[in-house]
Amino acid sequence: MEFDLEDPLVSLEEEQTFTISELFASESEHVPSPNCLTSTHFRVFCCEAISLILQVQVSCKLDPFVAYLAINYLHRFMSSQEIPQGKPWFLRLVVISCLSLASKMKNTTLSFLVIQKEGCYFKAQSIQRMELLILGALKWRMRSITPFSFLHFFISLAEIKDQSLKQALKSRASEIIFNAQNDIKLLEYKPSTVAATALIFASHELFPQQYSILRASITASEYLDGETLSKCFDLMQDMMRMEAKELMIDTSFLSTETPVSMLERNTKRQRI
Amino acid sequence: MEKTGVLSAKEAFEKLEKVGEGTYGKVYRAREKATGKIVALKKTRLHEDEEGVPPTTLREVSILRMLSRDPHVVRLMDVKQGQNKEGKTVLYLVFEYMDTDLKKFIRSFRQSGETIPPHIIKVILSICPSIFNIRFFFVHLFLSIWLQSLMYQLCKGVAFCHGHGILHRDLKPHNLLMDRKTMMLKIADLGLARAFTVPIKKYTHEILTLWYRAPEVLLGATHYSMAVDMWSVGCIFAELVTKQALFPGDSELQQLLHIFRLLGTPNEDVWPGVSKLMNWHEYPQWNPQSLSTAVPSLDELGLDLLSQMLKYEPSKRISAKKAMEHVYFDDLDKRHL
Repeated sequence: MEFDLEDPLVSLEEEQTFTISELFASESEHVPSPNCLTSTHFRVFCCEAISLILQVQVSCKLDPFVAYLAINYLHRFMSSQEIPQGKPWFLRLVVISCLSLASKMKNTTLSFLVIQKEGCYFKAQSIQRMELLILGALKWRMRSITPFSFLHFFISLAEIKDQSLKQALKSRASEIIFNAQNDIKLLEYKPSTVAATALIFASHELFPQQYSILRASITASEYLDGETLSKCFDLMQDMMRMEAKELMIDTSFLSTETPVSMLERNTKRQRI
Repeated sequence: MEKTGVLSAKEAFEKLEKVGEGTYGKVYRAREKATGKIVALKKTRLHEDEEGVPPTTLREVSILRMLSRDPHVVRLMDVKQGQNKEGKTVLYLVFEYMDTDLKKFIRSFRQSGETIPPHIIKVILSICPSIFNIRFFFVHLFLSIWLQSLMYQLCKGVAFCHGHGILHRDLKPHNLLMDRKTMMLKIADLGLARAFTVPIKKYTHEILTLWYRAPEVLLGATHYSMAVDMWSVGCIFAELVTKQALFPGDSELQQLLHIFRLLGTPNEDVWPGVSKLMNWHEYPQWNPQSLSTAVPSLDELGLDLLSQMLKYEPSKRISAKKAMEHVYFDDLDKRHL
């Protein structure tokens, strides 16, 4: 059966109750270790690497879940390593290896040649060596538990009857999660917390009248900590204000910049 | 690029003895030097690939890492990388060590002679136990008590795998590890046969795995379902009772004929779609026999559960989760399982 980021542990809906508590119990194994989050080197390295991954996503027309998974591997790996100085090739090799591993987990064909067409060329042997290094650091836990894994569960708590409404909610929450991956600060929060926050935002945007019901049912969940959820909410709110502001600026200048250029500019700003 | 303090597989473990070899590569009983803990090391060469680590290896090891949370799936504790004499990368999968498997366990009971039905044992025990050879008597009493427990643990482990969308596909007594002291049973070799295939004589391979293979697989169905594992569970259930394989075929055709002789040759009435399967042919027409002719000492509830595991139509076969709820297990103390 195919590995699905939305259901890394569950493939049949009828079996959900069998494993939902296990999903929450396991998620801490799939996040970067906390110490790295205050490191400037970590943030700079990861911002550059994410920018590269998203460029490859655009140029190779990758499934966004592949890029998301690759970024998860990147964060987990780099949080367990010293950031090497003076080795510019290292960043690119890590990016290629994370993308390669993610595409294999998603059963996507992604040739080394295609990934590397715009940069220096690494031998397959070098990439395999880096892949094995990453696998060892991540203890081969590659079926990552991400915010997408929790969306179905939280939506089910609200007991929404309308299927198209549920689907719209899930789609918008997923979009919010994809956009949020650029911000390193979110790494402080567990995937389930990020998922809950994204859903609350999505419901507020799409269905204001349903908002209070959904928010109440999500925050009542025994698996979530209210205070942490509140902090995550504030952070995501700031991020979304920033996103809206940038959109206005771009529109007012009738910019023809590509998404890649926007990402590059975002990266530079984050570095300052 | 080795991190300081990280030991290679050879440095971290002392190999004590080779305990197995097969489709999964070599298996060693070993001691972890740092802790003194006994583990099972499964060694497999990582095949060189133009695209790095093979996807099947990556996906299967990731599955094992995930499934290792259940007490009825053998625990993959670590994955170590090493190099063999030719400088090729080798993976060592570090598993918890289990001292025996169900195949050896069954064989140890086969040497005790004919089976006495559990319900008769209970009657005799209450009347006059002294007239029997004590060892012979208690060996069979022991097994009849543990039959339910072992079967329940097997269903629970399979339910856990299926709940995660994972099929085993090769359930057989050899792949069910046991701890004799605690009578705990654990499923092993999940996906390993596929991910770490080592060239092996086809005849031997088929002998080893045909006996537990579901009829839809033998008939060439291309879409497997979880039901293929439940067929294997049923065959193992019967074998635990009789100490003999239920369907010991030595070729795919003979395997099918063994099945048809007992359960009747299937037709479109009992199994819609069967005649359209790729390997379907004309077969001798047998009528179904009662399961009690094959498993005479199993009680009525056990026979009912077994019959539901051996339904021809895959979608009608009982699921592992439903099997756990069957009345056959009602009087089993499940608190520690």
